[in-house]
Amino acid sequence: MADILTLAQGAGCFATLLTAVEVAGLTGALASPGPFTVFAPQDSAFAKLPPGTITTLVQNPPQLGRILTYHVVAGRWSQADLKAVPYVESLEGSRIWIDGSHGFEVNNATVVAADIEADNGIVHILDTVMLMGR
Amino acid sequence: MLSVLIVLPLIAALCVAYLPERWSRPVALAALGLVSLWTVVLLVYFDPAQTGMQFAESYPWIPQIGLDYRLGVDGISLPLVALSSLLTAIAIFSTDYNGERPRLYYSLLLLINAGLAGGFLAQNLLLFFFFYEVQLIPFYLLIAIWGGTDGRAYAAMKFLLFTAISGFLVLGAFLGIAISSATLSFNYDPSVTQGLPLNTQIVLISLLLAGFAIKIPLVPLHTWLPDAYVEASPPVAMLLGGVMAKLGAYGLLRFALGLFPEAWSVVAPGLAWLGAITAVYGALIALAQRDIKRMVAYSSIGHMGYLLLGMAAATQISLLGVVLQMVSHGLILALLFHIIGVIETKVGTRDLDLLNGLMNPVRGLPLMSGLLVLGGMASAGIPGMVGFISEYLILQGSYSQFPVPTLLCIVCSGLTAVYFVVLLNQTCFGRLSQQAYYPKVQNAERAPALILLGLVLVLGIQPHWLTYWTEPTTTALTATPWAKSALSLK
Amino acid sequence: MILEVQAKIPPSKHRYAEIIHRLEAGGSMLPDSPENLMQIIGIYKAYAVPMDFYWRDLLYIAEREFLNPLPFFKYFLPQEYLDLPNHYAGETADLRIWRGGATAHPELLEFMAKGETGKLPRILHHLWHDRINMEFAEACMRAMLWHRHMCAPFNKFDAYLDTPEYRSNCDRAIRAYFAKNPLMMGLYRAFPEMFMEQCRQASYYSNLGLFWEVMAPVFFEMSDIYDEGGFNGVPDAMNFLVNGIFAVAGRPIYHHVYIDGQCMEIIPKSKGFTWLYEAALPYVEAVFYRTAPFRGTKSYNAQAKQVPEHQADFHFGILYADVFPVGSAGIPPTLLMQDMLHFLPPYLEEFYQQRCRGEEDKLIQLGITFQRSMYNVTSAVIQALRAALFYPLDDPNPHHLQANRRFFETQMDRFLRPEARLMDIQTPEYR
Repeated sequence: MADILTLAQGAGCFATLLTAVEVAGLTGALASPGPFTVFAPQDSAFAKLPPGTITTLVQNPPQLGRILTYHVVAGRWSQADLKAVPYVESLEGSRIWIDGSHGFEVNNATVVAADIEADNGIVHILDTVMLMGR
Repeated sequence: MLSVLIVLPLIAALCVAYLPERWSRPVALAALGLVSLWTVVLLVYFDPAQTGMQFAESYPWIPQIGLDYRLGVDGISLPLVALSSLLTAIAIFSTDYNGERPRLYYSLLLLINAGLAGGFLAQNLLLFFFFYEVQLIPFYLLIAIWGGTDGRAYAAMKFLLFTAISGFLVLGAFLGIAISSATLSFNYDPSVTQGLPLNTQIVLISLLLAGFAIKIPLVPLHTWLPDAYVEASPPVAMLLGGVMAKLGAYGLLRFALGLFPEAWSVVAPGLAWLGAITAVYGALIALAQRDIKRMVAYSSIGHMGYLLLGMAAATQISLLGVVLQMVSHGLILALLFHIIGVIETKVGTRDLDLLNGLMNPVRGLPLMSGLLVLGGMASAGIPGMVGFISEYLILQGSYSQFPVPTLLCIVCSGLTAVYFVVLLNQTCFGRLSQQAYYPKVQNAERAPALILLGLVLVLGIQPHWLTYWTEPTTTALTATPWAKSALSLK
Repeated sequence: MILEVQAKIPPSKHRYAEIIHRLEAGGSMLPDSPENLMQIIGIYKAYAVPMDFYWRDLLYIAEREFLNPLPFFKYFLPQEYLDLPNHYAGETADLRIWRGGATAHPELLEFMAKGETGKLPRILHHLWHDRINMEFAEACMRAMLWHRHMCAPFNKFDAYLDTPEYRSNCDRAIRAYFAKNPLMMGLYRAFPEMFMEQCRQASYYSNLGLFWEVMAPVFFEMSDIYDEGGFNGVPDAMNFLVNGIFAVAGRPIYHHVYIDGQCMEIIPKSKGFTWLYEAALPYVEAVFYRTAPFRGTKSYNAQAKQVPEHQADFHFGILYADVFPVGSAGIPPTLLMQDMLHFLPPYLEEFYQQRCRGEEDKLIQLGITFQRSMYNVTSAVIQALRAALFYPLDDPNPHHLQANRRFFETQMDRFLRPEARLMDIQTPEYR
């Protein structure tokens, strides 16, 4: 098995995410032993954001980093684990709400592919970038 | 010299009637300007120290029935003539430029002015009666044609019936005087009437009282007043309440008290109580009104009660107060009616429950509200304003004669403050309605209120300018041998 | 779109169901009419010019005046700050929102030079209040400061102000600022908390300054687009704002102080505080909804519970404000109206002249237009939050639409209180 970073690089649908991770200086963190649970928005999720959003974030790595760390949870949480709790706390500090009643949803994002195992964690692929605040 | 005050408006009325419509207003204004100017001339040449009639004129008119054209002015009638000129000028000035049928309207106003001046100046009983009656039809038409929308015909008819009866009663009394004195002269002469037997005097004075009580009006003969005042347009209401009602009070003072001091002293206690009842009634009914114009109309009835009390007491101070009260009430009532008229035009209602927040500096009518507050204060007799001077003199002068009615009137003075606080609180304060898009108040609409309020304040601070004309005359009235003996009866 | 949503879920039973359905169709709380569009765009422009002064001066006070115990000249903006390039306008912009220049707006400079009274020394303009009324901006800042903790836990900026890290940053700055002032240093030793609170206030100066630095070019650009005929209706204007909110959402919020030419970071950019979470949302909550009763407009009897017991129940903001008393001196909204009065575009000027009392009650008229325009801004915020936290309006999933519906209904619940002007702005007669 590969680590989360390698896995993402190989998948081909995380180009934006990987760029963002690099700009925010979190590449090293993703390669670290972890373990993490990563909610990974695919490229189409970033494309849904209004124009300018990414530009501003890329210009400001700390702010970008904050959005990205909101998508990461410490520990290895599988779909089954997550469905058993109402929310988990992200590395950013805010909560991510889990809704398993209609498929598998976290906040306002739907998990399109769950439980992708890696060496240092687990990845769930999202169709939407999560913004904190609910 | 005095005839100018009567003839000038009559000529102007004829001119207005025959000239094109666009000339109506300028001619009427010019005529009243000249009349006012002439009034000032009279004020300048009048000698207050002399207590008899001045500038007297006398021509036989129809000697067969004892009608002489006799005019004269003394310290009692002069301020009232001045008030009449001023208020008619203001009434004409504050009339809507684009009113309907201006020729008839302004002619009628001028006719009324001539009638009022004549009434105050007449020294012949029949002549007085002539002028007293000559205004009825013009007022009737002014209310019936230019009045408020509903009920104006009813109000006008009621006014006409009441005041016509008042006229008949007065005429009856005058005829009685002429017949019983067996001179067949209707000239004003107290020395004749005072020689009559007391019983005859009491019968005659009762007729006069009933007649003038309608005109003033006094409770319970007041019912024409609220309708007439409320239905009349503001300029007409100003003249009705400000001057015409004063002709009734003046008549009472001049012809009842002046001609029959002895009989007067007999009926005085009853009159004092009637005055107090009128004051209480007016104040209490005013308190219950939801229409601000009606409220002011009832407050006006209440204020007439003080007049009667002062006349009943007939002391030197109270009579001075009575004359002052006639003038100050005329000024204050005209001020209030004018402001209420402006509010009604701008806001479209006089309903206390709908009016609110007019003090709002930008969207309300802040200046008018401020003036309304001051007008209310003046009416409630707040010191520093002319209403205080006159009410104080009446109450101070009457207490020694009729303590209980005087105390009742003092309570009513407090009640005046109560209903004016209700009125002002609802109208001026609070939150302006969300949908309040009232038109601006023009300077021409502000001017009459400012002039009237200026007089109210100046005469309130410097009452000497008013008492100067009157005091010697009223003092003399209480100092005649008959009056002295009559008063000592009490 | 209404039909689309309604086909999937039953209609709302909320008192403001009509408005909720309009929001679900991508509309604004403000009805879509050419007159409304004209009014709000005109007032955005008139608002943006003084705002261009506000944000510069707020930053100047936060960064340079800082804890000056005698800040007599804090409204005397030095040239350096007038020339400060806006990060969202001009050639050098990080993200060019407005196509105009980055330095102070020309109309602002013209007004500052002459005012209403003509060319006079600056001190006279200041004393005669013939100037931009910074007091309004400070009132907004204080509302945010006073309603602290309202957006916890998402507003991390506010929580940061109570951390030891922030205190030690302030401590360093205070010591450097008062290095040559033993009196103030003595006071600092005696009353350290007072100085800390002053620092927090200065941080909110910076916060609001950075917030408005974005809004000014947004409004200028909207005015330009409108002049070019680019907006078809009120929803277009609202969507421009929604996009603007997202575009600059990640803009850093920080507080730097310059002491003797040296920059001290009291709140460094690296804390990751963002424009959307740490400035925009607290601003909307504090200024649009809550604020505090303005002295001078009305008497409140606190013992009769006319002033709410809990800060969260405060509803005195522009969405609830009674604009009619505008015109009395010293009330913050009046100060803003007075500022906007100088920069009305000609079409709006003409519009006011023809209505109500024309020249005389222009302040109220523009105040009510401002209220309309802020309902539109609030709609944009509500739509942005919906987009960020909930689902697209055309989401095929009825559960998602139901979640959107619940969100809109919760937002509308805040306008159920009687003083809300939501129903007033629905009609053109309210003006």
